[in-house]
Amino acid sequence: MEQILANGLYLGAQYALIALGLTLIFSLMNVLNFAHGQMYVLGGFVTYTFVAQFGLPFIVGLLASAVVLAVVGALIEKFLFRPVIRKSKREESTMLLAAGIAFFLDAVILLVFGEKQRGVPKIVNGVFNWDFRLIMPYDRILIGVLAIAAIVGFILYMQYSRTGRAMRALAQDRVAAQLMGVDVDRYSMIGFALGAMLAGVVGGLLVTITGINLGMGGPTSIKAFMMIMIGGAGVISGAIAGGFILGMMESIGLSVLAVYGDITYLVIFATLMIFLAFRPQGLMGKPWG
Amino acid sequence: MSTILEVKAITKRYGGLTAVNAVSFDVAEGEILSVIGPNGAGKSTLFKLISSFVPATSGEVLFRGAKISDLAPHKVARMGVVRTFQETTIFKSMTVRENIIVAHQLRAKASLLGFFIGSAQARADEEAFGASADDIVDFLGLGAIRDELASNLPQGHLRALGMAIGLATNPTVLLLDEPFAGMNHDETMNMVANVRRLRDERGVTVLLVEHDMPAVMKISDRIVVINFGEKIAEGTPAEIQANPRVIEAYLGSEDAAIGM
Amino acid sequence: MNTQKLLGVAGFLFAVFVLVPWGIAASGRWDFYYTLTSVALLSIGAAGVWLTFYIGRINIGQGAYALMGGYVSAVLIMKAGISFWATLPLAGLFCAVISVLIGLPILRLRGVYFAMVTLVLTEVTRLTALALSVTNGAKGITSIPLPGELSLFGLTIVPDFATMQNPKLAFYLLAATLMVLSYAALWRIVNSRLGHLCRSLQQNEELASSIGVNTAYLRVLAYAISSFFGGIAGAVFVAISQSIYPSSFVVTDSVNFMLYCFLGGLGYVFGPMLGTLLLYFGWDLLSIAKQYQLLIYSSAMIALMLAVPNGVLSLLDRKGGRK
Repeated sequence: MEQILANGLYLGAQYALIALGLTLIFSLMNVLNFAHGQMYVLGGFVTYTFVAQFGLPFIVGLLASAVVLAVVGALIEKFLFRPVIRKSKREESTMLLAAGIAFFLDAVILLVFGEKQRGVPKIVNGVFNWDFRLIMPYDRILIGVLAIAAIVGFILYMQYSRTGRAMRALAQDRVAAQLMGVDVDRYSMIGFALGAMLAGVVGGLLVTITGINLGMGGPTSIKAFMMIMIGGAGVISGAIAGGFILGMMESIGLSVLAVYGDITYLVIFATLMIFLAFRPQGLMGKPWG
Repeated sequence: MSTILEVKAITKRYGGLTAVNAVSFDVAEGEILSVIGPNGAGKSTLFKLISSFVPATSGEVLFRGAKISDLAPHKVARMGVVRTFQETTIFKSMTVRENIIVAHQLRAKASLLGFFIGSAQARADEEAFGASADDIVDFLGLGAIRDELASNLPQGHLRALGMAIGLATNPTVLLLDEPFAGMNHDETMNMVANVRRLRDERGVTVLLVEHDMPAVMKISDRIVVINFGEKIAEGTPAEIQANPRVIEAYLGSEDAAIGM
Repeated sequence: MNTQKLLGVAGFLFAVFVLVPWGIAASGRWDFYYTLTSVALLSIGAAGVWLTFYIGRINIGQGAYALMGGYVSAVLIMKAGISFWATLPLAGLFCAVISVLIGLPILRLRGVYFAMVTLVLTEVTRLTALALSVTNGAKGITSIPLPGELSLFGLTIVPDFATMQNPKLAFYLLAATLMVLSYAALWRIVNSRLGHLCRSLQQNEELASSIGVNTAYLRVLAYAISSFFGGIAGAVFVAISQSIYPSSFVVTDSVNFMLYCFLGGLGYVFGPMLGTLLLYFGWDLLSIAKQYQLLIYSSAMIALMLAVPNGVLSLLDRKGGRK
């Protein structure tokens, strides 16, 4: 039991961080970022390059992932989403653009990093063992703690910094925020950069444990979508709740349902559908966003 | 005159907020009854409750003695209680005539499969709908814009189209949500005349929720006034104009003064 | 139907059933059969996606139904020994039934919410195929026999594929026939009152229900038809490749189905067919670019979105052309 909870928390922290980025972008620009999983993969490869190729410390790699992804995110917002949002009449347009960007990032990752599974050496050795009731390698604990710290940092930033407050105003009511003098273009770009950065950071964190490969992008996006559907799209608390709930469900599923084969995700999806039938807006979302 | 619609102690709460509190009134067959009240008095919610677009917290609405307040909107419409919308709700990318034709759904006798294979019944339906749509277009004087795309129409015509859509369902009771909003004086008077003809020539009972006092006074047989979600008065236009509670409610708000 | 339209249809049928086989025989490019068969099958799936667009829902889950249809056909042939021809409608029906069960809750969602669920559905279907024993997990189902003889009252309509000299041509004709039938059905839906009702849903669901349209029923119906198309397409794909794996249809395929529709134009019944032809051929031609194929393809897509964010056929709208 303790083991399941601990695994769920560990997974949930990673997931919540991914979902936070996705929901931030969604709330600011009403864009569903299909390329989120690819950004996560890119982040993993950047850390891999710095740590395994250049031999630099892990923390440098992680910072590099954050910076690279923030820049990539900002560029994508400024040169791709902004003009398309300005000219398009239907919400499918941004969805298609996002799908195109997902393909594009896949292609870039394939060309630059190849399709092999990559990983970096363990950053801490040893295993925490509490009487065989709870066993967890120290590096997982460290990564989990770092992820939770990032979540807390993000919340504090959104809550107390000037930029964070402006973004929250923008997310709540675009028109009103504009009237209050919030520079919509500027904060959309910052928000997109921040969302991409979060995805990159998770990639950097997980490359030490699960490694990274090209094929992980799509499934990661899918999981992120599930999380924000559980929690409610565009709501920060919802993303965090969704992340932890999915992490917990996965952890429980993997240990309880294992005897029936690998049907965890089928069960989770069925549960999600029943849940959405009663609460289409998710746990904390507003109806229809 | 017999009672056609009974609103019985209908109540709607959103969380701790009571939007509509135990409002009751009857609508007689063939009458034009208006619900008025200051901004935020709960008119819109009441309207949605009667047309069953939001579920009531408690209370009920009866149509010819049968409860309609728990039914799905399309079932309520099927029974003959049809609403039009406050927002200029029409099918934007269809022409005026297409809008009205599609609104004949309630009169369709053929099944969907019938329409797919083009059965005799389906062809008969299509023909009847076309004729009836032209009839409605003429009734409301929309002949000049028959084949115009709805998205190109000015405000006044949109209201008329909204009413035409309502008419196409062959309603027994037509619920009009702010039919005069955004209209100038001439358009309003034209609409008032249309609503009266609707009742006089087609025998439709009309329940309307409206802001525009002069128009309400002119058009209504009876008026129900609500404020803060509660009914504060009910009576003929003359009685309402003389009612101190009504005057107080309106003076207390920044709404237009009551009167003609 | 007026003469001009009739001629157009006749010309199209002539091109599909006579000109193409003649051209391929003359040029000796037998590989085009595979490409064109794929285009025909994918455009059946895209027709389904288009229909869900038509009721105002963005459907990125068609890959799931193609996969399901493929597995249903494969399992029925291999485990129950049923003829391919019988499994074809069964695959479609199975998908339609599943889509009703799934559609009842999720069709209440709109916009990106519905899109997200359908996308998740694609991935979940893949994972389910991996996990179940009837689908044989990651190993998939292989060595599926070619379609046998189809006969009615002792009269042979389609001979056994295994005895044919040219099964490629036969598969092409089968796929093309199914495509023509699907688009005829779609055309009929759109141009009958049914299509009128679908458009009323797309434009304003609340108003539609207030004039007595049973919106929930119509949505589920459209989604079921859409999924039926997906299932049929998947089943024929499996018959051609004689194998199916959980990765036969994945998220990318679902996204592609949506792209075909969008590129072809959402206001035109034959839009998805055109979109499939252009994109699939484009992708095929780009294979000469080898490892840069995906890069060029995606760059072109992004450039296209920047240039015409409202879809290629929106250029026609500007000239006032509507259906």
